[in-house]
Amino acid sequence: MNEFKKVDEKIVKELRRMTSDASVIYEDKETLKNYSHDEAGGEYYAHMPEVVVKVENADQISKILKFANAEHIPITPRGAGSGLAGADVPLYGGIVLSVEKMNRIIEIDKNNLVAVVEPGVVTNDLCKKVADTGLYYAGYPMSVETSFIGGNVATNAGGSKVIKYGNTGHHVIGLEVVMPNGQIVEFGGKRRKDSSGYDFIHLFVGSEGTLGVFSKIYLNLIPLPGKTVDLLAPFKDMESAISNVGRLMIESKTLPSAVEFIDGISVKLGSIYNNIKLPFQDEAGAYLLIQYEGRKKEEIEDLYEIGGKALIAGGAMDVFVADNRTNSEKLWRIRRNWLEGIKAFDPYAPTGDVVVPTDKIPQMMQYISEISAEYKVQIPVAGHAADGNIHPAPMKPKEINPLEWKDLSEEILDKIALKAAGLGGAISGEHGVGFIKKVLLKKTKSDQYVFMKKIKDIFDPTGIMNPGKLY
Amino acid sequence: MKIGVLIKQVPATDKVRMDEKTGTMVRSEMEAELNPLDMYAVEEAVRIKERLKDVHITAITMGPQSASDAIRDAISIGCDDGYLLTDRRFAGADTWATAYTLSMAIKKVGGFDLILCGERATDGETGQVGPSVGSQMGIPVLTYVSEIVDLTDKHVRVKRAIEGGHEIVEVDLPALISVVKEINDPRIPNLSGKLKAKFAEIGSLDSVSIEADQSKIGLGGSPTKVVKVFYPKLTRSGEIVRSKDPQSSIKALLNFLKSKEII
Repeated sequence: MNEFKKVDEKIVKELRRMTSDASVIYEDKETLKNYSHDEAGGEYYAHMPEVVVKVENADQISKILKFANAEHIPITPRGAGSGLAGADVPLYGGIVLSVEKMNRIIEIDKNNLVAVVEPGVVTNDLCKKVADTGLYYAGYPMSVETSFIGGNVATNAGGSKVIKYGNTGHHVIGLEVVMPNGQIVEFGGKRRKDSSGYDFIHLFVGSEGTLGVFSKIYLNLIPLPGKTVDLLAPFKDMESAISNVGRLMIESKTLPSAVEFIDGISVKLGSIYNNIKLPFQDEAGAYLLIQYEGRKKEEIEDLYEIGGKALIAGGAMDVFVADNRTNSEKLWRIRRNWLEGIKAFDPYAPTGDVVVPTDKIPQMMQYISEISAEYKVQIPVAGHAADGNIHPAPMKPKEINPLEWKDLSEEILDKIALKAAGLGGAISGEHGVGFIKKVLLKKTKSDQYVFMKKIKDIFDPTGIMNPGKLY
Repeated sequence: MKIGVLIKQVPATDKVRMDEKTGTMVRSEMEAELNPLDMYAVEEAVRIKERLKDVHITAITMGPQSASDAIRDAISIGCDDGYLLTDRRFAGADTWATAYTLSMAIKKVGGFDLILCGERATDGETGQVGPSVGSQMGIPVLTYVSEIVDLTDKHVRVKRAIEGGHEIVEVDLPALISVVKEINDPRIPNLSGKLKAKFAEIGSLDSVSIEADQSKIGLGGSPTKVVKVFYPKLTRSGEIVRSKDPQSSIKALLNFLKSKEII
């Protein structure tokens, strides 16, 4: 099945005919290289595409998929390339189908509270545009400034607001999908309810380009909350920080829109990278960063008072309140640029992504520090405390060369992922499986895997869609 | 030592809208916040208080009732008290009339040894009010200050940015200092600071209580008149040169520049 046809001049000519000369990149190695990797491991996980096509509409996608299906050429759909699991690396060469030109916000429907968008819209652009109309798109992956909405749907991206609003899948109410045979099928739409038949939408969510290509996405919008306040609480260690999460929500009788955690090492590195100093930076072993949303100033004041007092009673060294843009940005910059802060010191640091039931975070953290000691590797950690989503980023010791490190860091992250699955969690919370975690997927979800593969074979019998990913 | 900090509430948005008829900013529909550049002045005052004995910091602002939030923000990170100058007759004041009003309030509240303010406000962007207050009070003014090198009861020595470098200047007190971002890293208030500020009593002053000359305040007292405000139309009239090779592109570009008599 994996004996794919090589792309030649004739195929390229056909692709140009279906789109335009300017839409097809071929033989330009420098430009093609940009489409050979995502944010996972750079060149060590890269593979060159044979050709890149920047599609502009569903019709073009349809023609290309039909053609690729008949010719048996692999298709790798690609968004912004900000993925962290290698899902958009063209492992078998072939055609990279980039949706970067499909970046139109087709409609913001204020009557139905729905946004209809193309897959190449940068999520942050959507958030801003929607906010201008007094509405709110509640998806907020940490890569919000670069990632595309199509990629968010394809990986079921999470982020910091999952505790209150759910991950990307919760916001998707319809999809127009170009199937591998070229057929354009609409699943769902502007309607909010549908109990007629299988829920295909959420089968496509998180399918990482293995079942079809999204050409239109219908997103749920809600009224804009208006005001936010952020609380920063330093703790002596991670265990005391995490032990506050459940209690905080019960005592404040409110779901915060974010409860993030970041460990002491990460803050120290991030502080240098971002040129920001956080309070208690030299003493704290962990921080919680909590965001509340509200409609009125009084509501916000009430929330930070109750939340802040609960955190201090729970052992926080102090609680800092950011209720304006400048202070808020200061607190969030270190968390949002967490990975960049680490990469500034070690460009080879990969990012893990595991999820466990929230109360198992301390056990996971304990395990990560045992691994850190066993391998003599520093592992900064941050994540989404309220949904048990942990990101460990092992840093390469100086004496190890990058190639050896690739294997060693994979071994470390695999151990952490298996431990998470063993604690009732999963090997990925929000980054997806790509090809980097496909062995782990099979290992930890062996029963489901059989059914997943059967579904894949029904949708994509010739196996052209993103081969080498998930399976 | 008594320190006064002059602060302003500004729109918390990048999308400031102007009323084309009146020539003033449409403030009513905007979220507001303490001018970010004033936070450096407040922080510096608090640092002085932490360094020296018996320092009392008073924050002063002029604006509508809602501007008292800016005073509360200043109190939350360590100012002791604050005054809000609010009066319908202050409305529409330009930088001179604002500075006059502030200087009258300062005289009323009681002599400060040191007055601190931010470099400028992020809405008006003039940077004139601080120095004008000092000037109207007849006290030394030091602008663009990036470090307070020495401060005693009698004098202050500062490092200030000048074109191409810095200079160290010393003046007698009382004096007014406007600070730049480089001076410090403003702290984020903690919960107890926020709660203290929430319940703090804020003094209120109007044009009568500061004994202002009514002809020198508000729109009527402002020498600056905004004649017209309009949104510039964005137009582009570019020409894209497309050629087969760099040589012919350069030739086409040179011809274009010559035709426009640029070269």
